[in-house]
Amino acid sequence: MNWPNLKYIFPSRRRAEEREMLEELEALAAMAEPGELGNLTLAAENARQTWHFTTFDGTFADLRYALRTLRRQPGFVAVAVISLALGIGANSAIFSFADALLFRPLPIAHPGEVLNVSNSTPENASEGLSYPDYRDLRASNHSFEGLVAYRAPQMGVSLSSSAPPQMRMTMMVSDNFFNVLGITPALGRAFLDEEGKIPGRDPIAILGYDFWSTQCGADPSVVGRTLRLNGVDFQIVGVAPESFTGMEQLFRPALFVPLSMWGRLSPGSENPVEDRARHDLAVKGRLATGASLQSAQAEFDALGRNLERSWPRTNLNRRVAVRTEIKARIQQTPFRLIVVTMLMVLVGLVLIIACANVASLLLARARARGREVAIRLSIGAGRLRLVRQFMIESLVVALLAGVAALGVASAAMRFLSTLQVPNDIPIVLGLALDSRLLTFNLCAALVSCVLFGLAPALQSSRTELVPALKSGGLSGGARSRVIGRNILVVGQIALAMVLLIVSAMYVDGLRWIIGSNPGFRTDHLISMGLDPGARRYTPAQAHDFYRDLSARIHALPGVRSVALAEALPYSYAQTSVAVLPEGFQFPKGQTKATVMGGAIDENYLPALRIELLRGRPFGPADRAASPRVAIVNEEFAKVYWPNQNALGKHIRLNSPDGPPVEVVGIAKTCRYLFPSEAPRPYVYLPYEQNQRSRMALIAETFGDPTALAAPLREAVHAADPDVPVFDLMPVATYETRVISNWRVFLQMVTAVGMLGLILAMVGLYGLISYSVSRRTQEIGLRMAVGASREDVLRLVLRQGLILAFTGIAIGSALAALLAPVLTSGSIGQGTRYVATFAVPLALLAVSLAACYLPARRAARLDPIRALRHE
Amino acid sequence: MSRQPEKSSEAELLQGTLDMLILKVTALQPIHGYAIAQRIQQISRDALQIRQGSLYPALYRLENRGWLKADWRTTEGGREAKFYSLTPQGRRQLAVETAGWRRLCDAISLVLETAE
Amino acid sequence: MDLLQGTLDMLVLRTLLFGPLHGYGIAKAIRSTSNEALDIEFGSLYPALKRLEMKGLIESNWEKSELNRRARYYRLTQSGREQLHAEHSKWAEFVNAIGLVMGKDPGKAEG
Repeated sequence: MNWPNLKYIFPSRRRAEEREMLEELEALAAMAEPGELGNLTLAAENARQTWHFTTFDGTFADLRYALRTLRRQPGFVAVAVISLALGIGANSAIFSFADALLFRPLPIAHPGEVLNVSNSTPENASEGLSYPDYRDLRASNHSFEGLVAYRAPQMGVSLSSSAPPQMRMTMMVSDNFFNVLGITPALGRAFLDEEGKIPGRDPIAILGYDFWSTQCGADPSVVGRTLRLNGVDFQIVGVAPESFTGMEQLFRPALFVPLSMWGRLSPGSENPVEDRARHDLAVKGRLATGASLQSAQAEFDALGRNLERSWPRTNLNRRVAVRTEIKARIQQTPFRLIVVTMLMVLVGLVLIIACANVASLLLARARARGREVAIRLSIGAGRLRLVRQFMIESLVVALLAGVAALGVASAAMRFLSTLQVPNDIPIVLGLALDSRLLTFNLCAALVSCVLFGLAPALQSSRTELVPALKSGGLSGGARSRVIGRNILVVGQIALAMVLLIVSAMYVDGLRWIIGSNPGFRTDHLISMGLDPGARRYTPAQAHDFYRDLSARIHALPGVRSVALAEALPYSYAQTSVAVLPEGFQFPKGQTKATVMGGAIDENYLPALRIELLRGRPFGPADRAASPRVAIVNEEFAKVYWPNQNALGKHIRLNSPDGPPVEVVGIAKTCRYLFPSEAPRPYVYLPYEQNQRSRMALIAETFGDPTALAAPLREAVHAADPDVPVFDLMPVATYETRVISNWRVFLQMVTAVGMLGLILAMVGLYGLISYSVSRRTQEIGLRMAVGASREDVLRLVLRQGLILAFTGIAIGSALAALLAPVLTSGSIGQGTRYVATFAVPLALLAVSLAACYLPARRAARLDPIRALRHE
Repeated sequence: MSRQPEKSSEAELLQGTLDMLILKVTALQPIHGYAIAQRIQQISRDALQIRQGSLYPALYRLENRGWLKADWRTTEGGREAKFYSLTPQGRRQLAVETAGWRRLCDAISLVLETAE
Repeated sequence: MDLLQGTLDMLVLRTLLFGPLHGYGIAKAIRSTSNEALDIEFGSLYPALKRLEMKGLIESNWEKSELNRRARYYRLTQSGREQLHAEHSKWAEFVNAIGLVMGKDPGKAEG
């Protein structure tokens, strides 16, 4: 019937009609008295119905209008979306990293109900529980529906008795672990209640899903078979579900065994489950209905005091602390929180710079849209409605950017996934575009939408009607918009300055780390980790094993010397010692300090070229039966015996009635954990007096240490084929891996700094270009009255450089405040402030370049044409 | 956001006109709803047809505003029905509506009869 | 003022009978010829214009207005003329019918 209707099927026709309508209404509004025509938006809306097939409510109409408007400005949309996508993507990637490192909830049923229970002592705010304490607390508390305990040791695992054992992360868990945490095995069964009762009776294991699928080919028939664990045969009774990736963020356990098997798996400590002094169980509980963190803490305070009264020897000053999971993680790994906070602050700054860019573009656009706004206001559209309209446009831009940001984020996440620990244990960051990341990404997009959209929307809708309608000339609103854009650009430059200074300080720090001496040599050394305990050796048997093995390796061609150490510098597995240095007054309530330290044999210090400053090295005279001795590092002496001679002083180990050891030597302080760490106290104990099962064996070589990898493995195999070998690599590799992590981190910080710089320069360039185009007539006039091209060039450059200088000045002040915070802790060691001189100069040079392009364009203007410019 | 009522049936009366017609018919004597429609159709020689769907909401509205009052009576057919009669306010409203209609008619006539 | 769509269409068509006008001109013309009694809301008038244009009863062109501004002028088409006649007689019938119900002198509308 209505045949003309059909032509409006074509969007182009509808767009044309829409354009004509707005033009018509604009013309009519100009003729009529203000307000005479009433609500023109409504009229247009109703008129539109005649060529649209369906009706929407106002928001949909706004959305349609927004899409139409944006489609006509592809340049603006592209710049805005790319800026924001970089900003949001960087934030999402770092969020994903932070989530993997710290924030992701436990992969169990209802993780919010599960609280962490630990010991808290004056020396250490978060320590493990002993098994007897755990058993007592589990029996007597009413706050938790169930209380589970576990430890996560590395053990030698072999799938058949003939295969050599491999070191794997495992978990020893209490019998109720799977039931209380709500983990249903994918295959087989969970542990039964009685399987926790009798120590050593139940050699059964549940495989981790990853281990099962990678090592057993996801073969369902493994249930019922046996595997060998530290030399003991275990029957596989089940496979954990894929969703359960363990209780720690980075390591996935290969298998789970009952805690009651602890004794049989750790020879040497005959009955660890009865040892109240052995505080190394992690304990978590699921809250009972009606209980809260506060009520649980109150109950455990009382229970802790009872334990302290009953067992003063082991439980003196030992509180039981109940914490949320996230609080416990921060307590245990404060370093991660520092890294995460720092990165979040840096990428947050980038997002702010990106938002400032888009806001600046929107303000520039506001002028171009002045007439449109004026018409819409004059035809009765409320300001609120206009703000809503602008915000919907911003929302569309933000959401587009959010989608693009996912691409940016996944690229950054691939890069972050290359982080590793120096040892052979694989860490799984599990960075993925999961629902938590998508939610974060969406929130970041929405927040940035408000950040960049709201102020320009309010600004734009404040256009003064009459001048804007009459001429489109520079009204008061427009002038304040220019000021607004100036402020934005100054802010961007200031923040970019902060980012650059921080990244320059990190670059400087890395150069310092690579260039400086770690305090020990890494060349011509190869080491391997050994654990004869995995073969159920007693410490005495292990001692014989190491003596035999050292002799074999020493006899290999190319080996200069052989040394033993409990922990190598830069290794992930550092060990510590509780010390009570003679004459040192601890703060009130504290009786001892935990410092890094470990057992070494007499060949270790010479092999690693760790310099002995005073006193004597360990020697053949330091036997198990002879007086106990120790070597401390310089830092230890400085901290505990300032201005005194440390030689001859005594240290008691573990407790006031522990064995006293005499300091016989002082070694130079080297690095132990991070390349960038602050000097820390360290105690070396002679291996002969402190026999351990698990040691690292280091071979000093004449030539290329890698050539000895195979001979070393063969030597161990010849001594005992069932002793697992792990972390077999040149000592230099530890350093390379540690530094490579540092480099990944640094590249990220630098990338973030560069991103900030680029975005800020796009902002500066955009503003100066815009200003040149706005001032074309003025520039023409100046040239007509005799200004030279150089004058014009100088005029424009001056405007840009004033902004740049202001930004740099503010940025320097901000950096002075922020940089010490951002580079604090061990990651910032070695960073210096040299960067603070170079960065402003570089930034100024780049700013000059960003201003020069539009300035040159201005200087080349033809004065006659410029004068006629509208 | 309010929309214009989009009824395009040409027989649909202007709202004010329907009110006016009902007030006029009830002014003569108490009368029940169905008879009102019949009466209007009859007097206008079938030119004005009031649909039930417009009539009853209008009656309700007018009663609600106090222009009509209703009571239950027996019809000639012996059935119970609601009979409407005009209140004094209704009488005043009838005068207002009539005047308004006259003005509208005059104005439209002016437009229609204007020769350029 | 609430008018029936048909009535409003009729007024617009009638106003255009004597020559093309732009939207604002139509509103002004209706107002002035009715001695200011009919103040049609532009918000109703403008959609009506679009509707009539869609039905092919009027057509529009961009032209210069008397103040030398560009404006969109609407003119009656042949089918618009016919429609006007039809609406006109419908209106007359309607007024007449109301007059019958309202009794003597219900409004001296023609017919």
